[in-house]
Amino acid sequence: MITVHLEPEGQTLTFDTLNTVLQLLHKVGKRQSQALVIRGGELLTQDRKLHRGDEIVVRGVTSRG
Amino acid sequence: MKCRVCKQTAAVALPSHHTAFCPACFAAYFARQVERAVHNHRLFTPEERILVAVSGGKDSLALIHQLAGQGYNVTALHLDLGIPNSSGPAREIVAAFCAAHGFTLRVVDPAEMGLSVPEVKAAVKRPICSVCGKIKRHYMNKIAYEEGYDALATGHNLDDEVARLFANTLRWDRDFLGTQGPLLPAQGKFARKVKPLCRLSEFETAAYCFLHDLRHGATACPYSKGASFTGHKKLWEDLEQRSPGSKTAFYEHFLTHGKTAFAPLAHKDREPLQDCRICGAPSNLETCGVCRIREQVFAVKEKAGADLCGQGREAKNSL
Ligand code: SF4
Ligand SMILES: [Zn+2]
Ligand SMILES: [Zn+2]
Repeated sequence: MITVHLEPEGQTLTFDTLNTVLQLLHKVGKRQSQALVIRGGELLTQDRKLHRGDEIVVRGVTSRG
Repeated sequence: MKCRVCKQTAAVALPSHHTAFCPACFAAYFARQVERAVHNHRLFTPEERILVAVSGGKDSLALIHQLAGQGYNVTALHLDLGIPNSSGPAREIVAAFCAAHGFTLRVVDPAEMGLSVPEVKAAVKRPICSVCGKIKRHYMNKIAYEEGYDALATGHNLDDEVARLFANTLRWDRDFLGTQGPLLPAQGKFARKVKPLCRLSEFETAAYCFLHDLRHGATACPYSKGASFTGHKKLWEDLEQRSPGSKTAFYEHFLTHGKTAFAPLAHKDREPLQDCRICGAPSNLETCGVCRIREQVFAVKEKAGADLCGQGREAKNSL
């Protein structure tokens, strides 16, 4: 299972199967340029593979006032 | 994906530049973009004193961090707008950030001067974000001008600039089209305004903050639904996705080809400016926009006070 925390929404989602960051972005409805994808202090580009047990943060980048 | 420069694993992919970078090479790229903006548009020199407006958001923190890293003489300016659940945390973030990096911080409290955003919102009929923007610009300019800074720098990024330019173009607003850009030279009591992040997207400033461990504000302003250009930014995201590089092309070509055509027409019909009778700021009326807002806030407060007294008197009489 892969756990995904969405910021700033504060939502947590889990996925059974996800191969890449690109797939994850599709699932959460974000473009590559709209969010940072973070795993354990590292920024991931969209081709990176995800693994079972990963904890991922998807941090939106659009300013909100 | 590999870093274009050193071939290590990339951390930041930039489709608009058909490239990707590892953290170290991204830092060098980011610095280069800022250097280019400063140099190409002659924003300021290493000898000058720069006042940097720092809200606590990612762009302004990245901006002052980067300028200081390049050796510029920077001072942070933070405005506390008295917005519930938003201004307090933002002020704390900025104070902690400036203390950690050794930046001098100047805090101005429009709320203490009768201009807290909730009170203004209650007193003024116009959309709050446009009034709030006016108050912010007023105080930023006031401090920069009166305290003799050579330039006032803000963290506007490429996405902000493109969205604003798009909105101005939709209206063919020649005053803005003739003056928008990374440099607005000083004039009279207006300080020089500069936008050194104009070549960098908000994705890039967010990545910069993450990679430099700069903790920025996450609490949105409760009024941000009305914040400017969110819809335009989405449109541009679609365009950029289909045709990477569109944003940069639109903005840079405007600066080289479009702006010059509008510049002679900008503010052609504007009344000559005079000093506000209350605060001395440049204004096209006897009283400047911000002092008029303050008067409106006081009027609403006075009326509320009078109503309360009246109610008190009625209550007493009925005893
Ligand atoms: S979102 Fe609007 S009201 Fe809130 S700080 Fe920004 S401009 Fe001011
Ligand atoms: Zn590299
Ligand atoms: Zn005034």
